[in-house]
Amino acid sequence: MNIRNRQRGERAWATRAHDGVPSPGGEPHVPRIASRRDLLFRAGMGFGGLALSALLAQDEARADAGPEAAGRSAANPLSGRSGHLAARADSVIFLFMEGGPSHLDLFDPKPELQRLAGQPLPASYGRPITAMGVSSNALLPTKRTFRKYGKSGVEVSDWYPNVAKHVDRLCVIRSCWADGLNHVGSVCQMNTGSILAGRPSLGAWVQYGLGCANANLPGFVILLDEKEPIGGPKNWSSGFMPATYQGTQFRPDGAPILNLAPPETLSGAQQRSKLDFVQLLNHRYGRGREDFTELDARINAYELAFRMQSSATEAVSLAHETESTRRLYGMDNPVTEKFGRNCLLARRMVERGVRFVELYCGTGSQWDAHTDLEGNHSKMCAISDLPVAGLLTDLAQRGMLDRTLVVWGGEFGRTPMSEKGIGRDHNPYGFTMFMAGAGVKAGHVHGSTDDLGLRAVEGRAHVHDLHATILHLLGLDHLRLTYRHHGRDERATVNAGKVVEGILA
Amino acid sequence: MHQRHSFRFSLLGLTAAGLPLTPAALLAGGVPQTRDPERTASLVTRAHTVLATHCFKCHGGTAPLSKLDLTTSAAARRGGTHGPAVAPGRPQDSRLLRMVEGTLKPQMPPTGALSDADVAALREWIAAGAQWPAAAPQANGAADGRPGAGAPGSARPGSALTHWAFRPVARPTPPAVRDPWVRGPVDAFVLTRLRAAGLRPAPEADRSTLIRRVTFDLHGVPPTPEEVEQFVQDRSPHAYEKVVDRLLASPRYGERQARHWLDLARFAESEGFKADETRPNAWRYRDYVIESFNSDKPYNRFMMEQVAGDELYPDQPAALVATGFNRHWADESNARNIRLRRQEILNDITDTVGSVYLGLTVGCARCHDHKYDPIPQKDYYRLQAFFAASQPREDIPLVSRAELVRHRGAVAQWEARTRDTRVALEALEQPVREKLVRGKRMPFTPEVQDAIDTPPAKRTALQWQLFLKVSPQLEVKDEDIGKAMKGEEKARWERLRAEMAREAPKKPSDLPLALGITDVGRTAPPVHTLAVGVYDAPLEEVQPGFLSAATTEAPQIVPPREVESTGRRSALARWLGDARNPLTTRVIVNRIWQQHFGRGLVASASDFGRTGDPPTHPELLDWLAGTFTGRETLNWSVKGLHRLLVTTSAYRQSSRFEATAAAKDPQNLLLWRYRRWRLEGEAIRDAALLVSGRLSGKMGGPSIFPDLPRGVVTRGGWPVTADPQERDRRSVYIFVRRNMRYPLFEAFDFPDTHEPCARRNVTNTAPQALMLFNSELALGMAESMAGRIVQDAESPAGRVERAYRLAFGRAPESEEREQALQFLSRQSSLLRDRLGRGEKLAAPRGASGGDPAEGAALVDLCHALMNANEFLYVD
Repeated sequence: MNIRNRQRGERAWATRAHDGVPSPGGEPHVPRIASRRDLLFRAGMGFGGLALSALLAQDEARADAGPEAAGRSAANPLSGRSGHLAARADSVIFLFMEGGPSHLDLFDPKPELQRLAGQPLPASYGRPITAMGVSSNALLPTKRTFRKYGKSGVEVSDWYPNVAKHVDRLCVIRSCWADGLNHVGSVCQMNTGSILAGRPSLGAWVQYGLGCANANLPGFVILLDEKEPIGGPKNWSSGFMPATYQGTQFRPDGAPILNLAPPETLSGAQQRSKLDFVQLLNHRYGRGREDFTELDARINAYELAFRMQSSATEAVSLAHETESTRRLYGMDNPVTEKFGRNCLLARRMVERGVRFVELYCGTGSQWDAHTDLEGNHSKMCAISDLPVAGLLTDLAQRGMLDRTLVVWGGEFGRTPMSEKGIGRDHNPYGFTMFMAGAGVKAGHVHGSTDDLGLRAVEGRAHVHDLHATILHLLGLDHLRLTYRHHGRDERATVNAGKVVEGILA
Repeated sequence: MHQRHSFRFSLLGLTAAGLPLTPAALLAGGVPQTRDPERTASLVTRAHTVLATHCFKCHGGTAPLSKLDLTTSAAARRGGTHGPAVAPGRPQDSRLLRMVEGTLKPQMPPTGALSDADVAALREWIAAGAQWPAAAPQANGAADGRPGAGAPGSARPGSALTHWAFRPVARPTPPAVRDPWVRGPVDAFVLTRLRAAGLRPAPEADRSTLIRRVTFDLHGVPPTPEEVEQFVQDRSPHAYEKVVDRLLASPRYGERQARHWLDLARFAESEGFKADETRPNAWRYRDYVIESFNSDKPYNRFMMEQVAGDELYPDQPAALVATGFNRHWADESNARNIRLRRQEILNDITDTVGSVYLGLTVGCARCHDHKYDPIPQKDYYRLQAFFAASQPREDIPLVSRAELVRHRGAVAQWEARTRDTRVALEALEQPVREKLVRGKRMPFTPEVQDAIDTPPAKRTALQWQLFLKVSPQLEVKDEDIGKAMKGEEKARWERLRAEMAREAPKKPSDLPLALGITDVGRTAPPVHTLAVGVYDAPLEEVQPGFLSAATTEAPQIVPPREVESTGRRSALARWLGDARNPLTTRVIVNRIWQQHFGRGLVASASDFGRTGDPPTHPELLDWLAGTFTGRETLNWSVKGLHRLLVTTSAYRQSSRFEATAAAKDPQNLLLWRYRRWRLEGEAIRDAALLVSGRLSGKMGGPSIFPDLPRGVVTRGGWPVTADPQERDRRSVYIFVRRNMRYPLFEAFDFPDTHEPCARRNVTNTAPQALMLFNSELALGMAESMAGRIVQDAESPAGRVERAYRLAFGRAPESEEREQALQFLSRQSSLLRDRLGRGEKLAAPRGASGGDPAEGAALVDLCHALMNANEFLYVD
């Protein structure tokens, strides 16, 4: 049956079907009893008399508990816990370059592309389907200059001079590939594993698996630079899992979290006094209902919300950051100010125990260089280069890079074929991402695309593989991190994914 | 492995004796064969989860390895080439156990040893008699006098029949129980099980609790203080039944019930994907559902309309709107791979019909045979074939045929009058358009290009579907045509357009339109089984067919005379709506049961398969299914079923805790008390609006857009409804945008609308607290409630009394009254300080005069009550 192999090659865009391919190890996507809670809820009746809630309180909550348990567990589902494996990273900072940065002009130099400039894609490459139908268009050489940097000699183009200085910290993955042709499906897949909406995002899986190390902050934080990304909040949704695990958007203006600040008619002592009265009512109502732990959970949720008013506000306050730190992130320059600020916030979040910070650069497909690659990428690179470099410097200086995984990339790369002679179309068949920090090789290039940079060929790393790897670094085994949904034990990696061993340090 | 061990020891650490038992002592010591059915059932479920996960793949199906088939009891006992696999009651003599333990080689499964817990589960199960999930005597099609082979529910012999869900619905006789608690057959079933377990039902809930419960349950809003009072005072023997009948007769019932169904229908009013464009007429489906429940449309008819209303009832606008059920999938308006998109849509429809009506995870058979349930991959595509000719429509006219003819005549007249202008315009535009289209069609595959180029008369059904799907992407905007013209040509074009603009108002106005599904024509495109589900990797062609596990009947497909349609969906609809269908009938009664009792008799309401939960009360489930469909009994009346369930003693129980019962049945599976529940986001909003005196009763029509919290934006747009009264309509009328759920609902677990939701999650989060405690929305409700109370009562004590009655449906006890009064005075003094600092205070809405600090304190009291657990939970 060659369908499977074809699937991994030419059928990159056959999307949903990919979901159904049994994983290489032959692991069926089948229910397995994966935790105490799971066992107890599926079978616990056989042990009559067990103190269910006591067990639940100790449960690592890594497998499906179903709505019943999710709502009724005494334990805080977001309490911090460790994963299946020894974790290399405590946190992830995902720098999402939305719109699809061009690997061909940033990290993946192709002499052959320069040589064949202006010619059509050779017939041996076939006719890949693309969003704008550019398969017959002329090949567009890069106008950038690539140079080898650092001890490792990894090549970076002149669009990313500051990031280039960190090249000995980077693990550049040149062989990424994905399934979507359009932005929405691809952004969705980079976040949730599937180009069709409805699945939990990677950050939600991480919260489900690990909780949050800081009880007063959400464990999965989203930072946007302007408008919302393509597809909106479903990109950080918890999908079919309880809403407890979804990402929390920190807003740039006013109160960072929706409803964090009370209306002006409600303030300090008055608010606390009112909350005390609510809790008085709740304690009274709780009498005789002690068995129903959900009521206590609500009492706790109100106290947490109250504490978050100060803890989340403190987390986003830059009052105690020095001038030099601000400059490091480019906050003194209007071009880099906005994204730099988010990068700095990301560091502050991670410092405070947030597990997964996702910050978008160029929300609403701003990297989408169909018709003016030079103009577009000059601008987007200028926006992102210094802040990303600043973040790496700052994390390293503070000794945080060892336990923080930084991921850089977009939802796909761009085609070697030109669009209107000056732009590039979407390319999910091969593109570059880089990781840095906890647990990944430094100054390393993994995998490659073909001679024209169209398709990943060596060390191919599908989005599922990247997700499996990120989870692995956080100490989570993607095959064991499951959630029972509609008769199936669902995974973050859908039904595929393999840790990219080649990039592990 | 480390974690497995820690798990086991903590489990053992809590055994009754508290002694540090070793695993061997507990598990190998031979668990006595049990007669406790609950316990047996759980052993069986556990063991079969292990078997299904690790063994069935090789030891099941058509050619099991070593000829050992573990999927049925008989086959396993017979054994394979090496002899019997299990010796019931004797784990150590069972090959299966020894091989998974590794004491008999080769160790199984070959992919890696089972965990200790899994081995223990198998050992315990064999010790207890090694039953298969359906070891009970098999019912057969002829036993109850019904027709045998050929009828829905008369399944093929073999493994399928051994699973309870595929067996015909037997309508068991209710147990004869003499007990004053028993009000009817449902109670008799429930009480029998309780007694067998040594349990007793809880006493009946008090009247104010009961009316609050049943009103929230059937209407999604609380009772008014007056309704509570009336019921509490009513001495007549049927006081409660009167309340139930009043609730069921009110249109508020349909609004509540519709929301449950809309969760299943993955209803949304926008496309999803990137642009999330609005579907202008999607709301008509929501109104259709509300109206269907309010008019108590028989459920089989309701189901049939949604699957094939256009074929079966083409003259009835409601039935055309109903087909929207299969149109609620998310869609990508700029999808480039049209053939793939078509397949994804067909998959969505197949999975949705399978899960909503049949209660099966048929989607698991898309890429391979179902791992646990008797659904071969071929069956998936046979089911899909019923929908192969489906064509989504946005322009279904909702008028009678006669009116349609009249309308078309009028349009034809108008067209005749404007013919010359239109022809001239078209002659100008055609070449330009063709040129522009050439660029637009570039990204599409050769197959789609062919479909575009094939003359309409020669297009196949598939080509029509591809063509219609791609067409919106090829549309050329008028302004682009204008841009492509110049000089005299353009001047002429503009003149002609001006002429048409003058004629436009005379064109007969558009008819009301619905979106839904029809067939693309009288023939359907071929359907193939797809290799691992890949859309362009067809294997053998299949014809429409029902699930082979559920029936041997072949669909009778007759194209309808009056509409250009294949008749395939009608055939499916008739099977679904047949009282003998074992799945659809059990599935719906279980869903309604779940609504009223918080948990289905089958907890996995959309998964009646082997890995779903087995029914806690199988006989009751069958009795309900039979009673629901019986012509002499409920005859598919949903309202009748509600009434039957909410008038039982089982439903009227108190939710009070009982330690001994909880020890025996911690999950309350046997119903020794009522299951307390939290309001959904919609009910929270509706309840707050009602107690604030603001809830609008207006029904139906286009959806409303209440304010969003500041800073929330959405690409699809959210044009806030101008009229404040309109904004205060019930939650079911709030626009459902696929990419952005209304924030209050999202915080309170509103489901994702990309797939059906059979049961909502219930979470408890800080964002919920922030939403109710800090939002302008909640505070605004509190201001209205306070404003209303100021009108109703003068003294602080009177106001406290009124506030409690409104919010909790009961008067405060004296201690509570004292605490509330203390709160008011403490809060007033804090607020007076604020006032002194020149700060703004909240004020009861619509009330003038009075002390501002006291007014603001009353707002705070109302706000606090709305945040209290007692407001959010139903006892």
